Amino acid sequence: MSLVTYVAGRLVQSAMLVLLVITLGFFLMRLAPGDPVLYLYGAQNMSAETLANIRRQWGLDAPVWQQYLTHLAHLLRGDLGYSQINQQPVGTMLRRIVPNTLLLMIPSLVLATTLGVLLGVAASRRLNSWGDYLISAVSMVGYSTPPFWLGIVFIVIFASGLRWLPTQGMSTLGGAAHGLAGALDVAAHMVLPLGVLVWWYLAAFARLTRASMLEESRKPYLMTARMKGLSEFRVVYRHALRNAARPVVTILGLHLGTMFAGAVMTEVVFAWPGMGRLTFNAIIQHDYPVVLGVFTVIGVAVVLANLAADLLYAVLDPRIRYA
Amino acid sequence: MPEGRRGGATVAWLGERARAFGDVWRVFRRHRAARLALSVLVAVGVATPAAVVLLAVDPEAISADVLVAPSLQHVLGTDYLGRDILARVLHGVNTSLVVGIGVALIGMATGLVLGSLAGYYGGWTDHLIMRTADALLIIPTFFLVLAIAFIFGGRLVFVVVLLGVTTWPQIARIVRAEVLALREEAFVLGARALGVGDAKLMFREILPNTLPPVIAMVALLASSGILTEASLSFLGVGDPNVVSLGQMLTSGLEYATSAWWVPAFPGAAIFVLVLLLNVVGDGLNVALNPRLRSSLA
Repeated sequence: MSLVTYVAGRLVQSAMLVLLVITLGFFLMRLAPGDPVLYLYGAQNMSAETLANIRRQWGLDAPVWQQYLTHLAHLLRGDLGYSQINQQPVGTMLRRIVPNTLLLMIPSLVLATTLGVLLGVAASRRLNSWGDYLISAVSMVGYSTPPFWLGIVFIVIFASGLRWLPTQGMSTLGGAAHGLAGALDVAAHMVLPLGVLVWWYLAAFARLTRASMLEESRKPYLMTARMKGLSEFRVVYRHALRNAARPVVTILGLHLGTMFAGAVMTEVVFAWPGMGRLTFNAIIQHDYPVVLGVFTVIGVAVVLANLAADLLYAVLDPRIRYA
Repeated sequence: MPEGRRGGATVAWLGERARAFGDVWRVFRRHRAARLALSVLVAVGVATPAAVVLLAVDPEAISADVLVAPSLQHVLGTDYLGRDILARVLHGVNTSLVVGIGVALIGMATGLVLGSLAGYYGGWTDHLIMRTADALLIIPTFFLVLAIAFIFGGRLVFVVVLLGVTTWPQIARIVRAEVLALREEAFVLGARALGVGDAKLMFREILPNTLPPVIAMVALLASSGILTEASLSFLGVGDPNVVSLGQMLTSGLEYATSAWWVPAFPGAAIFVLVLLLNVVGDGLNVALNPRLRSSLA
């Protein structure tokens, strides 16, 4: 299989998955309880004829497949539907809030990858030593900690006990600080949620890296590298880790949805104004378009991220290119 | 074939299974953490339902002792309605145990059936099943289950079934790979040459041999099921008629700074359950995965 076939295959698969996510979102929306027209105008004593007119205007009387195509066309324009409860387009709500979620997720992913890979490599180097046991035990505990509970533990210890850090929201209320002071204020609010996410992601990275490095360590090319007289550092970090990284990246790509879920839960605990808070409130308010908008956006993002990871590896790893 | 001989074959077959199980148990026992975790888990699995039935404390009984800190009378304190948190945590753990067992069983059964169909028949069956598995692995199932449970209502049975039928892909992949390898083995070809039918070949000859790696996954399926159900009820799509640890956490969230015991104990219960199951899963994996096993045995 050449690189072109491989890439083409992955592109087709991803396109189908994106379509599947969108289709699921569309049909779930149709199955959601409540009639949007009645919800908005039901109390205004309108005649059945007026209501039917509104329906026609909104395209709700068209056959399902036609509505589906309209839905696809709207999505292409970034239109994710309208939240009657919040009186706003879902797309606008998400655009305002997604950056806040990414502000938590990206730094914690970077920190957790770096630390987790280093710990995983260290554990695999000294197999069955005390250090290895400690790292494995800690990552087992970290992996098993529900993020929402860890958040509460942090709040109890650091905020109400030690009173070191703010626990709610993204910035101090009323403090319209700009520039550096404002940034520091946000940074202080970030510490605890970031800590929760790093703790949780880190464990997964460390476990996977350790297992993958162990797998690589048995292979003969490492002995060749050592026999060539390469430094241990080069052997481990340039040769073994490069190959061990592939399964780690693949599996983490598949865990991306769970990572989003962890971020969502953490945001709820710390009242962080991101997708988690949005989802939580939408569930309380029975705001169906928002919940399905979140599902669609995260679903598409995860599919695309997996595609990106695979394509990157296809380019970097000659075994895929020539296999 | 005369009845007697078939009976003898069954006995021999069972003996072989028992010996294989004994081997696995011997390796599993060496994993001290896993052995300890399994004992605690079994104790919890027996004691919690027993306590719920025998003590019969109503988890919904409200009292005037509102937000009382842990004391002799209320070992884990009370919540904002004066309900005893220990009683509620016990009921919540019970719910979580049901969720864990249910998700693991449904996930395992679905994975075994679909994985063996895919491996045994190949062709279009294989293609259809495995592409569905790929899709379920990539699409974030947490948010899919969240959306479905939100729209159709999060009755506990419904959520358990949803979680079960979205966790089969990993199992199916393992089973399919095993079946593909076993399909051409001499004992299967021999049985086929003797005229053994498809169904019997599958259930009697092939499936038992695919079980070890599948059983290694069971504890992990249960732990992720428990964590996901808790997360869903934490976000508000749980079953309002069942005491759930996730819901206790959400309603206790606002007391984190004033009455820490309200959210802390239900969360700790989830943490302990998930940790125990993950450690047992680790031990099972070592005991049942031949590659890891050689390094320990």
